[in-house]
Amino acid sequence: MIRSYIKIAWRSLKTNRLFSIVNILGLSIGLATTLVLFLFILHERSFDSMYANKDKIYRVLLNTTEDDLETWTGSPSAVALELEANIPDIAEAGRLLKHDFGGTAFIKTGNEVFAEKKLFWSDASILDMFDVEIVKGEGSEVLNTPNTVLLSESTAKRYFGDENPIGKTLSIDDIDIVEVKGVFKDFPENSSLDFNVVAPFLMQSAAKNPTWDNASFETFLRFNSASPNVANVEAKIQGILDKNVKKDEQWYNFSLQPLEQIHLYSSTYKDSYIERNGDINQIRNLTALAILILVIACINYMNLITARSQKRATDVGINKTLGASVRDIIVRFYIETGLITAIAMILGGVLAVVALPMFNDIAGKELDISSLFSIEIIVFLVLIWFVTSLISGSYPALYLSRFSPKEALKPSTNKGGVASVVRKGLVVVQFSASVVLIIGVIVIHQQLEYIQNKSLGYNPENVMAISTSAIRGGQANQALVNAFKKLPNVSVVGRSQGYPGMGVSGRSINKPNTDETMGISTNTSEREVADVLQLKLLAGQLLPKNKQAGDTLVEVVVNKTTVDFLGLSPDEAIGKKVAMQLGNNAYIHGVVEDFNFASLHNPIGAYAFHNSNREPKSYLLIRFTNEVLSETISNFENTFKNIAPNSAFEYTFLDKNLELLYEKEQRTANVGLLFSILAVIVACLGLFGLAAYMAEQRHKEIGIRKVFGASVPRIVQLLSMDFMRLVLISLAISFPLAFYVMNQWLQDFAYRVTISWTVFAIAGALALMITFVTVGYQAVKAAVANPIKSLRTE
Amino acid sequence: MKNTLLSLNEATRTVNSGSNKVTLLDNINLNVEEGEFISLMGPSGSGKSTLLNCIGMLDNFTDGGYTFLGEPVHSMKEKNRSKLFKEYIGFVFQAYHLIDELTVYENIETPLLYKNVKSSERKAMVADMLDRFNIVGKKDLFPIQLSGGQQQLVGVARALIGKPKLILADEPTGNLNSKQSEEIMELFAQLNKEGVTIIQATHSESNAAYGSRIINLLDGKIV
Repeated sequence: MIRSYIKIAWRSLKTNRLFSIVNILGLSIGLATTLVLFLFILHERSFDSMYANKDKIYRVLLNTTEDDLETWTGSPSAVALELEANIPDIAEAGRLLKHDFGGTAFIKTGNEVFAEKKLFWSDASILDMFDVEIVKGEGSEVLNTPNTVLLSESTAKRYFGDENPIGKTLSIDDIDIVEVKGVFKDFPENSSLDFNVVAPFLMQSAAKNPTWDNASFETFLRFNSASPNVANVEAKIQGILDKNVKKDEQWYNFSLQPLEQIHLYSSTYKDSYIERNGDINQIRNLTALAILILVIACINYMNLITARSQKRATDVGINKTLGASVRDIIVRFYIETGLITAIAMILGGVLAVVALPMFNDIAGKELDISSLFSIEIIVFLVLIWFVTSLISGSYPALYLSRFSPKEALKPSTNKGGVASVVRKGLVVVQFSASVVLIIGVIVIHQQLEYIQNKSLGYNPENVMAISTSAIRGGQANQALVNAFKKLPNVSVVGRSQGYPGMGVSGRSINKPNTDETMGISTNTSEREVADVLQLKLLAGQLLPKNKQAGDTLVEVVVNKTTVDFLGLSPDEAIGKKVAMQLGNNAYIHGVVEDFNFASLHNPIGAYAFHNSNREPKSYLLIRFTNEVLSETISNFENTFKNIAPNSAFEYTFLDKNLELLYEKEQRTANVGLLFSILAVIVACLGLFGLAAYMAEQRHKEIGIRKVFGASVPRIVQLLSMDFMRLVLISLAISFPLAFYVMNQWLQDFAYRVTISWTVFAIAGALALMITFVTVGYQAVKAAVANPIKSLRTE
Repeated sequence: MKNTLLSLNEATRTVNSGSNKVTLLDNINLNVEEGEFISLMGPSGSGKSTLLNCIGMLDNFTDGGYTFLGEPVHSMKEKNRSKLFKEYIGFVFQAYHLIDELTVYENIETPLLYKNVKSSERKAMVADMLDRFNIVGKKDLFPIQLSGGQQQLVGVARALIGKPKLILADEPTGNLNSKQSEEIMELFAQLNKEGVTIIQATHSESNAAYGSRIINLLDGKIV
């Protein structure tokens, strides 16, 4: 029996080529999408699951308690020590600092200099917690002695080739000389932590004098038992904080984040040294999109099957007169659907393999094709196959099996009634979804465009930042500045701790005579930096040119937001003493107009340039006139190498760096675009098939109308209008929905576009155009056919 | 002594068309003996097809009694009725209604599949039927590759494969030319001789003449 059903289904597939192709293609696109996304989700969820202590490891999060409530992943350096000593549940604690607070290290091995982006200063306990496997030399214990270092396997190879790295010495930024003591296995690709070089944290000044204010150290805890009572521990931590920091000086409190959440739930946290961050919202959105596309494909299937219900009904009728029961018919339709989805599945698998590199490229992932053949994927495929078949098959199976044979066989009854209403409903659902996606893509692109073109209050174009952290001594740095100043296409040069678009030092500023404080970003820099950035001076002056060594006086140039917080006008603020953790001798020297020093997700906060020497100036900022870029760069590199032969030339352009701030949105836009296109294609496939069917079904009507004088355009209009009406209904449904959804998305930006009516106009026009092209082809084909033919065949 | 195959006692069928009650079959009294060959005649709309459908249990009488092989069909449950129908009744249609996707062989085999007949037995039965109807050479063709007469031949073979006691044929030659019609009618006469009871609806006097009894219908009544 089942063999006979499969035979019927297979032959019917072959006879109805167009329908089969449309169905299978649509389904396989849907399935391929689902498959790729499932791979992606699986990969994202697998992060950090390989660590034996995964249920015992927690990261300490710092939550600021002042006006802009933020969560930071860094904690003060005293936290790990105090918690380990005072909370018995904690087996060990460790601190992690990325070199130079997130910067690049310059590692010299004999003659060569490497720019190393993954040098971490770590406590030994962190390596123990994370099962770091030593393949050569000594293990984590070396981090308990200064001037040692561990390298990853691939880094050892990069530095020393095939030579034995153990016992070699390296210099870090020309300051620290360290000896390679061991080599560890590279971190797995789905580990949040990823070190190339690990040096002892105890070499850092923060380790020598642990404090409660500089929150720059990621602190990890390992508990004695899995899943500790977090609330209880957090209360104890608060107790420890209260003991060490006076209540009114506490600008933060602590919470704990389990390791399994670090990858997906940290995207809104500030300044993490962990670069492999995922985003749970992205996963949720993509899951929704995948389901949507699959549903659209299933709808196509149901539509096309029921569109042929006339033929189907006759089939059902015949089979019933031959003795088939309702159950037989239901089984038959499910088998037919199962067969089609199985074919689509295979094709979808092939599509997924082909499309994976493209997806990796667009989404910035490195998913591996071989993982397509894992047990999870196979189980998932079978499950999806089952669900898809069940959903797609349910409507034809349950609807058509109810036909009584007599009605089914009577040629004149109209069985299309209910089916056609459902069918139209399904088309509306499909198109509404597509239009929402189209609008989404347009709004995302508009917002990105807006971000890229918004006036930021400073000029990031034609500015290069060169990392100078490996250059020691004021003389060499001054020589560098002088050399660059002499270059023909350089207009201004200045040294600075950081630049807009990158995090600098976070401090807090106190409003005099009140308890009010506010977070402020402070940037040690030279006078010229304001000119490099082309900031607008509102009052006072830029930082003074020369400062004597040992001078405790600190001059500060703040932005407008800062003086607004202080309740002063720019002019009033000049010369006022400020309490912003820069000593007791800090005065406002100038006020500049606000500028967007962080991403446009955030409103502008307080910012200060100062000339205290608490932090090093690690960057040389250069404003150049717009010349041929490759020449400019090689010219710059030569100049740099002349003065600092021991340092690698590491640079970035400020405007390029800014684009990185919106990388996530750019990715979202790209992925969204891809999926929208797929969804629209699948929906169009369905519409195309349906239009073909309609034209076929109405060919007699068309013939009669033509015999009675209808023109071709009239008939095209007749056939297209039905569909146009459906699309119009879809627009009415999708517009408010899209408006709501995209408005929610825009809330993430402090600076955002408003959604204008033109977006809807474009999306609507696009949808109508696509419909017209899809349906029009079939309509014209039917309309120009010779009526005699269509009437005779009946 | 012949057995009564089925009997209708004041069987009536009415349907509601809008607000009107339309009587399709009006107090039909009919006894059909085993081995009869009955021709139902009458103009279009006289109720021939409705009567066939009701007898074939594809449709119900709304009133009156219907006994099939001594069992009261009118008070039977759907399931038993369908069992009865599967067991004893074969259908032949004017439009043949072969399954397009199946070959001649497979079309004839289908009723056996629904009856859960074993594979070896099925093979023998179908082979037998092909042989008997002289269509062995066509067994792998699809309906679309056959002429109308040949298709109807397959239709009859398919109706016969389940060894029914009763064949119901609704205008079996309506789509055929006169030569083909004659062949099908000869076949029916032959089957009837072999003991199969046949009820056919027809417009054609000559076809009706093959039957052992003619029943004329007009406006749902036997005249």
